Amino acid sequence: MSSRIWLPASRRLTRRGALALGLAAGATLGSRAARAQNQPKPPAKPTGQVVVGLSQEPTVFNPLMPHIEVDQGVHWNLFSPLWGVDASGNFVPQLATEVPTVANGGISADGQSWRVKLRNDVKWHDGTPFTAEDVKFTIDLINNPHFRSASRNGHSLVTDLTVVSPTEVTWRMQKPFAPYSSILSWTFIVPQHILAKASDPNTAPFNNAPVGTGPFKWSERMPGDHITLVANPDFFGTGPYLERLVFRYVPDLTVMFTQFQTGAIDHTGLQGITADHYQQATKVAGRKVEVGPAAFVESITMNLSRPQFQDQAVREALYYGMDKKGIIDAIYYGLPSETETFLPRQSWAYNPDLPKHVHDPAKAKQMLDAAGWTAGSDGIRAKNGVRLAFTNSTTAGNHVREQAQQLLQQDWREIGVDMQIKDMPAAVIWGDYFNLSQYDSVMVGQDKMTGPDPDVTAYYDSNAIPAKGGAGTNTMEYVNPKVDALLLAGATTVDRAKRAPIYRDLAAIIRTDLPTLPIFQYVTIEGHKDTLFGYQPSVYVASNCWNIAQWYWAS
Amino acid sequence: MIPASGSIDIAAPGRARPRLGRGTRRFVRHRLALLGLIAIVGLALAAAVGPYLDPYNDLHIDILHRFAPPFSGPHLLGTDQLGRDMLARLLMAGRVSLTVGFAAMILSTVVGTVVGVLAGYYGGVIGAVLMRFVDAVLCFPSIFLLLALAAFVQPNLVSITVIIAATAWMEVARVVEAQIRTLRDRDFAVAAVALGAPDRYIMFRELIPNAVAPIVVAATLNVARAILLESYISFLGYGIQPPVASWGNMLNNAQDYLATAPWLAILPGLAITLAVTGFNFVGDGLRDALDPRLDGR
Amino acid sequence: MSAYLLRRLGQSLILLLIVSVIAFGVLHLAPGGPLAQFALTPGMTQADLARIAHQMGLDRPLPLQYWEWFHRMLDGDWGRSYRDNQPVLAVIGGHLPATLELMVSSTLIAVLIGTWVGVLGALRRYSVFDYLATVGAMVALSIPTFWFGLVVIYAFSVRLPWLPAGGMYTIGEGSFLDYLHHLIAPALVLALVTVAIWSRYMRSSMLEVIGQDYVRTARAKGMPERVVVLHHALRNALLPMIAIAGLQLPTLLGGALVTETVFTWPGMGRLFLDSIGYRDYPVLMGVLMVTALLVLIGNLGADLLYAVYDPRIRLD
Repeated sequence: MSSRIWLPASRRLTRRGALALGLAAGATLGSRAARAQNQPKPPAKPTGQVVVGLSQEPTVFNPLMPHIEVDQGVHWNLFSPLWGVDASGNFVPQLATEVPTVANGGISADGQSWRVKLRNDVKWHDGTPFTAEDVKFTIDLINNPHFRSASRNGHSLVTDLTVVSPTEVTWRMQKPFAPYSSILSWTFIVPQHILAKASDPNTAPFNNAPVGTGPFKWSERMPGDHITLVANPDFFGTGPYLERLVFRYVPDLTVMFTQFQTGAIDHTGLQGITADHYQQATKVAGRKVEVGPAAFVESITMNLSRPQFQDQAVREALYYGMDKKGIIDAIYYGLPSETETFLPRQSWAYNPDLPKHVHDPAKAKQMLDAAGWTAGSDGIRAKNGVRLAFTNSTTAGNHVREQAQQLLQQDWREIGVDMQIKDMPAAVIWGDYFNLSQYDSVMVGQDKMTGPDPDVTAYYDSNAIPAKGGAGTNTMEYVNPKVDALLLAGATTVDRAKRAPIYRDLAAIIRTDLPTLPIFQYVTIEGHKDTLFGYQPSVYVASNCWNIAQWYWAS
Repeated sequence: MIPASGSIDIAAPGRARPRLGRGTRRFVRHRLALLGLIAIVGLALAAAVGPYLDPYNDLHIDILHRFAPPFSGPHLLGTDQLGRDMLARLLMAGRVSLTVGFAAMILSTVVGTVVGVLAGYYGGVIGAVLMRFVDAVLCFPSIFLLLALAAFVQPNLVSITVIIAATAWMEVARVVEAQIRTLRDRDFAVAAVALGAPDRYIMFRELIPNAVAPIVVAATLNVARAILLESYISFLGYGIQPPVASWGNMLNNAQDYLATAPWLAILPGLAITLAVTGFNFVGDGLRDALDPRLDGR
Repeated sequence: MSAYLLRRLGQSLILLLIVSVIAFGVLHLAPGGPLAQFALTPGMTQADLARIAHQMGLDRPLPLQYWEWFHRMLDGDWGRSYRDNQPVLAVIGGHLPATLELMVSSTLIAVLIGTWVGVLGALRRYSVFDYLATVGAMVALSIPTFWFGLVVIYAFSVRLPWLPAGGMYTIGEGSFLDYLHHLIAPALVLALVTVAIWSRYMRSSMLEVIGQDYVRTARAKGMPERVVVLHHALRNALLPMIAIAGLQLPTLLGGALVTETVFTWPGMGRLFLDSIGYRDYPVLMGVLMVTALLVLIGNLGADLLYAVYDPRIRLD
């Protein structure tokens, strides 16, 4: 029960996997061009309403404060960033007139001086014109020590933030930081004229009656039940084509599925439709089930400070001993697709040429024998007094993961490895237990990108180990100086074309070292009524409600 | 005062009816208690011995044969979502639930008795402080307290037993304290004090043995309570963790599959009901047998 | 009387204080914290989480945190939820009515059925009906409430599509009838335990009353049995029952939590469970204090009512 309230990562799956298994009947695996061809045109005026079902309740409406994925889904509709990111990973200007790059002079050659030009025709929902002051206010607020901002990553490097004119703002970065463009694409601008007046921005009334520049305006909220937004007729971009947008909180995934079937909700948002209901969902008349990619990757993450995991042979043998296909097919109904790396397939920095996993228990046993891990009387291997035994933890109550763990336990026992399952509630495992590397191994789904950016320094850099005092999320305590160098290069090279090969090299090294055993890339299975158009899943955002401004009902 | 324990008394108090009625009443209650005893012993035996007789292992995963309904194939009671044999799971879960229930009862009874005796014997400030503490803890509905404590611990057999005991000792303390307070003024106790016997001797050798009746009754009913509490907390996901089966955590998974595999929900619940009913019947019978004075006001 | 009341109030306040200390200690000493929910959110780094923890004051010594919570509460500020920054009292206020509605409706059902069963059992002592009612009550007390809920959902929502499988009302439909439709199942399930207890106490209370002189007098006067039962006996038998109801409050609250979970009823029990998952300390403290308050009121009410009923009882 409690797990359905909060799953740190949803069970999401890839298109390719579904296509390969022919399960894609009715799912939108066709190209976007094909889709655009068959679509009716959007209406001239905003018409109708859409009810989106969510299995977690959005509770944070100030986009700068700590929030989770479902909150971001609401923010996309209320607010605008300087530029957004489309489903292919390209930046699309929103409040800015163009995306600053080295080529157009927006960013200096050394990556440190930025100049952003803004639109002059944008109004806040209360009619006040949007100006550069709002941008300055937003970034200053994020860096304000008294304000509980979600993340200062990147923003803390901004200095000399100057409003040159109501439509232009400049600043200097203390050091070149390539991911900042991506971070800004997830940074929503908030109104200075409202929040500056609040005595404490953490508890300002604005946080429950937000005013933005987005395609929809705030209408009302009934806590524990729903949130209603209405169309913004003065929206500067295209759309919206809907009069009203309702986010409905349905705490139970099974109940949400029922409501999807009966049509009580028009679209199932996070956490979507579970894999075991997928087949059933495709057969419901008048509905379309979309299996789209997600940025999360499921893996077994190992604590490399444990003696058993320090041997490369052990990690490789564990990987050979894992029956990935079995897990994906049997427990996840074949919907996710296997992956060898930490980035989603759709990322521009993805490396498609990594060696493919093979389930070969015989080879695993051979490797372990060769490395000196001999089986004891209980069938479990040991070497130099260290038993090949460890615990694996994940969120208690996540039934699907529990099943996967039990399959793994059985498979690894076959090759002489003793894995004990030690699950605990989400609030416990993802606290100090995970962050301070108190675990042996965890089964976890993570999106290691920095927003839409492939920078994974926080996870793989040797200075990012919290247990050793670092400031990142390298809980595996992975140390590889070559990786450190590549990460630094990737973060300081501003040109995307030059960055991509760096990340491909990075992926290759990490695939060889195997600090984590990647299992699959998630997909989102979301469904909606088939007369509703415009839905577009994207790995570059945290919620597929990002483009509801483009959704419309066929007339 | 209204009986503090909130438990109910089957046979009503009141004016004596024709003697035939009294005999009938005794018989009825004894028969129920007997039934309860048979149920408990049966369950315990099944849990202890059954897994050796069942060809299937409760932990063995057989993905190809998931969700097999009962009485339809080689698995007598069907299989669960991982293809594990339900009968084996139920029996092994019985071991866990019954053991936790029993152990929690012992722990809670010991703690409750000690606190009750101390409070009842010394009275005065100590007694007041202790009983106020008991009252304060009783202000938490058991589930709420249990959940809060469960957040505290790494869930395993021992820790779950301890926190269930922590939620159940208060009633025992209350009953014992009340009993000791009345016994304290009786002749034998006063005599012992006059003879200069040390407090500890009086409390543990004189008073408690005379208070055994309500303690035993409370203890038996506590097993029932403990089994129920374990099932609640495992159902909510904070108790015994899979893959170890307990009747409660088998039900945790079951709600997802109500439409397709209802036996996953029905079977463990029946087991719990049977066990708890058994202990309740026995406890009630004991109450009648050991101290007829407890029969009504 | 007023001296007694004052003393009880004083005792209750002390109890509430102890309750708050126990609750605060248990909650905060438990591992895990409210920031774990953000640990895997894309875009937030460890550095951010550490900074937010510091900004929220979560790294200060516990007694200091307790003291701050305590004297703010005395001012009426019960803090703000860690999840949506709403005042705790508002959050609880939003969920409490749903729980109260559930508790009241289930108590009503339980009283109606329990009274009927108990009275009949008393009048027809040792009959088959009485025997079945006795056994039935014991079994009902042994059934886990949540399991009964699952069975009811299976029977009346899955097999027979008569009742909804959960929630408070259907989307788009806010009518009272729709609400009642959703209320039936959880109220019935929650009523299970109360029916059992109530029917047994009712039976013994009725038996007590029936033996009284005034009842025999009424019978001797030739009044119809029904009048005797309903007007004289029942009325007098009911009074102590109200006291019992007051004492049932903790059980009812606990049962409500489990029922709300199974039926996804948006009440306070559900709020507590969700908040445990998020480690939303302010809300958790608020809920525990409110339930303690309700329990104390129930106890006090029960004692007072019982004293009113039976003047022989000395309040001391």
